[in-house]
Amino acid sequence: MTVHTVQLRINGEVTTVDVKAHWSLAYVIREKVGLTGTKTGCEMGTCGSCTVLLDEKPIFSCLRMAVDAEGHEIQTIEGVEVENGGELHPLQKSFIELHGMQCGFCTPGMILAAKALLENNPDPSEQEVREAIGGHLCRCGTYVRIVRSILDAAQAVRAS
Amino acid sequence: MASNTSVVGKSLPMIDAYEKVTGKLRYAADLPPLHRMHHAKVLRSPFAHAKVVHIDTSAAEALPGVSAVITHLDNIIGTKKTCGQIWNDQSFNFQGPIISPEVCYVGDEVAAVSAVDEETAKEALALIEVEYEELPAIFDLEESMKPDAPAVHPWGPNRLDPSLFTWGDVEQGFSESDLIIENRITLGNQQHAPLDRNACIAAWERDSVSVWTSTQALFWIRDALTEFFELSPSKVRVYSTPTGGSFGLWWGNNFMILTVALARKAGRPVRLVLTRDEVQTTVKRRERPLIDAKIGIKKDGTMVAQRYQHVMDNGAYGNKFDPYQSVADIYPTPHGHVEFIGVATNLLPAGCMRGVGDLTLAYAIEQTVDMAAEKIGMDPLEFHLKNHWQTGDICHTSQEVVFAKLLFNREPEVRLSSSGLAECIRKGAEMIGWKEKWQGWGKPSSVQGNKVRGVGMGISTHISGLAFFGFNGITIKVNPDGTMALTTGIGRMGQAGDTTQAMVAAEVLGVELEDVNVIDGDTEVCGHTMVTFGSNGMHMVARATKAAAEDAKKQILEFAGRHLEASPEDLEIKDRRIFVKGSPDKGVGLGELMSTPIYDYLAPPEVIGRASEGVEFHRAGKMMIADFAEVEIDTRTAQMKVIKFVACHDSGTIVNPAVCENQVAGGYYQSMGLATTEHLVFDDETGAILNPNFLDYKIVGPLDMPDPDVYFEEVYDEDGPYGAKGIGEGVTCAVPIAISNAVYNAIGVRLDPPITPDKLMRALKNA
Amino acid sequence: MEYFSPDKLEEAYALLAKYGDDAIPIAGSTFFMSHREDLFDEVRAVINIKRLGLGYIEHADTGLRIGATTTLNEIFSAAVCRSGPFRVFSETVDELKINEVRNAATIGGEVCIAGEVDMPTTLLAFDANIVIGGAQGTRTASMADFHLGYLNNALKPGEMVIEVQVPQPRAVASAGFAKFERTAADLPIVNVTTRVALDADGTCSEARVAVGAATAAGIPKRSAQAEAALIGRVLDEQAIAAAAAASSDVECIDDFRASAELRSLWVKCGVEDALRRAAGQARAGE
Repeated sequence: MTVHTVQLRINGEVTTVDVKAHWSLAYVIREKVGLTGTKTGCEMGTCGSCTVLLDEKPIFSCLRMAVDAEGHEIQTIEGVEVENGGELHPLQKSFIELHGMQCGFCTPGMILAAKALLENNPDPSEQEVREAIGGHLCRCGTYVRIVRSILDAAQAVRAS
Repeated sequence: MASNTSVVGKSLPMIDAYEKVTGKLRYAADLPPLHRMHHAKVLRSPFAHAKVVHIDTSAAEALPGVSAVITHLDNIIGTKKTCGQIWNDQSFNFQGPIISPEVCYVGDEVAAVSAVDEETAKEALALIEVEYEELPAIFDLEESMKPDAPAVHPWGPNRLDPSLFTWGDVEQGFSESDLIIENRITLGNQQHAPLDRNACIAAWERDSVSVWTSTQALFWIRDALTEFFELSPSKVRVYSTPTGGSFGLWWGNNFMILTVALARKAGRPVRLVLTRDEVQTTVKRRERPLIDAKIGIKKDGTMVAQRYQHVMDNGAYGNKFDPYQSVADIYPTPHGHVEFIGVATNLLPAGCMRGVGDLTLAYAIEQTVDMAAEKIGMDPLEFHLKNHWQTGDICHTSQEVVFAKLLFNREPEVRLSSSGLAECIRKGAEMIGWKEKWQGWGKPSSVQGNKVRGVGMGISTHISGLAFFGFNGITIKVNPDGTMALTTGIGRMGQAGDTTQAMVAAEVLGVELEDVNVIDGDTEVCGHTMVTFGSNGMHMVARATKAAAEDAKKQILEFAGRHLEASPEDLEIKDRRIFVKGSPDKGVGLGELMSTPIYDYLAPPEVIGRASEGVEFHRAGKMMIADFAEVEIDTRTAQMKVIKFVACHDSGTIVNPAVCENQVAGGYYQSMGLATTEHLVFDDETGAILNPNFLDYKIVGPLDMPDPDVYFEEVYDEDGPYGAKGIGEGVTCAVPIAISNAVYNAIGVRLDPPITPDKLMRALKNA
Repeated sequence: MEYFSPDKLEEAYALLAKYGDDAIPIAGSTFFMSHREDLFDEVRAVINIKRLGLGYIEHADTGLRIGATTTLNEIFSAAVCRSGPFRVFSETVDELKINEVRNAATIGGEVCIAGEVDMPTTLLAFDANIVIGGAQGTRTASMADFHLGYLNNALKPGEMVIEVQVPQPRAVASAGFAKFERTAADLPIVNVTTRVALDADGTCSEARVAVGAATAAGIPKRSAQAEAALIGRVLDEQAIAAAAAASSDVECIDDFRASAELRSLWVKCGVEDALRRAAGQARAGE
């Protein structure tokens, strides 16, 4: 199988990686670039834990071919703090304060999906928040406080 | 109630919340690779029951990049040190050798390979040639119980001897009853389905092994490995990582032992990460119950006698003989007879899942109680209030009783230490609007066009740990600046166990939560900690944490006494400062105390608080639950939705309200899955699982249900640290029956979970 | 497995011709990657078609022309789909509550999957045509003819979908979409798209009732009986009920997800709901 050399621009940094065609972006982010904040709960697009922002749009990185990710801006959960100059994003602060997590496994995906939502819709309704995370499972069942954290962060962003 | 506390009772953020929101927290599959580490894959049986007649791994071994292959021919069998018998453990879900020449369920291990990467390992699996001889397989519980049923596995009978609990004379009780109600229930197959995937890394160094794995059973794994590989505990070091959920899945499991065996054979570190399908089809599932219930009551609704036979589908290896329950005691009748029978089938092994016997048996009891109340035309709310147990009542059927009999041939008396159940029932009824909505038997609470609504209730209880899971050894080291390091083996599955243990310590020591670092999950560094299950963290493990903090406090006050030239009895610690009671300006900051030389020693002090505590079991702290549901059934589309759900809990003092609310909400969502959408489907012919992942094993998402209303009745428990009991599992126990009873009220049909549109459609058609 | 990302259509056709049955074009790659365990052994060449300029939505008097690599979210937010006769396209996408999939999955991909997807049902109700390209030239197949069976479409080796064409509906026309699932983030168990054209007197002169995901055939099917029940009638509750009852000509599959009986019930309810929505659109004067 041919190996493709690709330049992936992740969180503002370019990494050159040799990838096999069938490798997912999630696999490459985790195993080759070493950013393990992106999770691979199911590897088939049914849980939301692998969500990254690709050109500011949320996608499932487990369904994206790594070899098809060149030439785009990719943001993983690690990039959120980086983008903010080392400061936590209001979403991250709200999730911490309001307990928007229990085991934390779904948290990176939830935060990135919410981030994309707030960038397009700074004053979402509760229903809009739930739809933005519609494809995200939380087996710990923290939906109550996840939604609350996102709405709280939206308010904080609007106030600032 | 924890009155006058500064840390306990606050919704402080979790101590690893920062790591979770930044993606920095490492679960086991995130651990960085070790030098020379290889990757493992497992070959699994496609048959539900077969002998491995011949296995040829030569081609796999010859594949470049392969470092080890293990099969049953490696004959790795553990023996129990205590009795020399072949190793088996109720909770490890396997018996005998780690790979057996007789495979007993689809997915059972046949071989394991380690190789330079997962792709090579997978290629190697394809090169292993296996010849199977199929054997008869049994999938049906009742078929398996028959005397002439073919053996499910070679390690004993299909049907285990019953665990039996009797008190009074149940036949006499039934003869004294005015009415007898009989009922049989079963539930769907629920599986833990955590989002994370089980992972294990093992590395040998000469005759010592280190293991990193996602688990809540740190010391259990250490002990199992010492038995399996005949090692001293000093040669086994297990590190536990936080887990992405668990709900009972992340204890010790066979794949961990396989990883250790592969690492030994390969002579290099080996890592095994289960695929999504393997997580849901090869580790374990909830025991499926088949319960026959019989209740005798007086005309006035007084319960007189109860008889339950709870059969559990243990699957191919599960050898549980008791489902871990307390709920059979929730109605204290003079006569009772409760039997638990574990039965094997050639299906995925079954084992504990959140709530365990208190979920399954509560379902049976509460449905039967509902039927009993209906028989005499009594409001079920009234029936519950009339009959439920109180503080001080005897726990006839608890595990402590089983194990005291088993290990010591004694029959102890165990009594309930505290209960806020009555208040939970009353408050829940008020919050759901029971008086307005309950229209009587046979009448739904409302009908609007095609939409029919009904209300239902259910109660349960659950242990706050079990004494026989061992002692807890905790240390607290105080640093020169007054911060501290707490060591504990408590599991980190999302229940914030490390956070709340640290809160207890901080409360005793008059410091802030942020002052306490928790060193969690290292068997060399931490004292023995109970496996984190049975909701034992706050009620039992924290007793040792509190005692260790008190021990540290004693040392601190002693040193402070020298520093301040005062008697330690006259001192107290608050807000990081030790001072004379009544004269707060005569004092010293904790940091200053810890870093200033004391004359008697010419050196600053060192403080290490320690405690190792067992738990006496004659009083049992059990959490109480009363759940109320209002459902709406669309008779046109046969779909059900939840209108309102009220969950009332007595878990004693609530140490961290936000954490506990999350636990209650989480239990509700998980049990709503059991009640409506979750069902692991086994193929009738092959025993293979048809829905091995989230595509078709449907768990509840953010758009599926309304949030529950949560209420805590904080009854101070004398045995619990700051009055606390457990919470983690009771949260699931009464949800399914509250829903099922509500459905009955709405459409007059009793449906057992999963209550799918298919079942509703057929019920509506026949009604 | 080889990977190609051509920037010219001819190059893509040449690669498809070269690898024949062993080639698969990808755009959103959601189906391919979620089925990779099954597909990797069969596929020798993956051809990324996103650089071929096939992402567009054009609207002329004749109707819509949607490039094959237009994503579901692009369809959702296109002005021509947000209101007017094609509003149901936006509504169809909106019923898929998984934003990440909507950002990746494309109309071409959905069309090629004959199975548990939503867009082909709506396309069937709109008499859409599928434009197929290959080294030999382009051809057009109707949506109805494009699906041969479950996960089986009419593409020959060397061919790929390049465009979807939706003819402009007649002046007064309205449509509705309904879906039944087990949870909100799920494969469709049943989906229904209805489209009616109303004459000046408010009676139905043209009707389409398309049912997908549930059919025994494994591909979206029209209910001839339901459509017949609507012709000449005003779209009132009685007409809707009659059409729903008549949809029993759609044979449904039976599996562990849902019984055939439940699917048939949901087909009936879906026809009712979709027609009510169409009626609502008609009343709103869209």
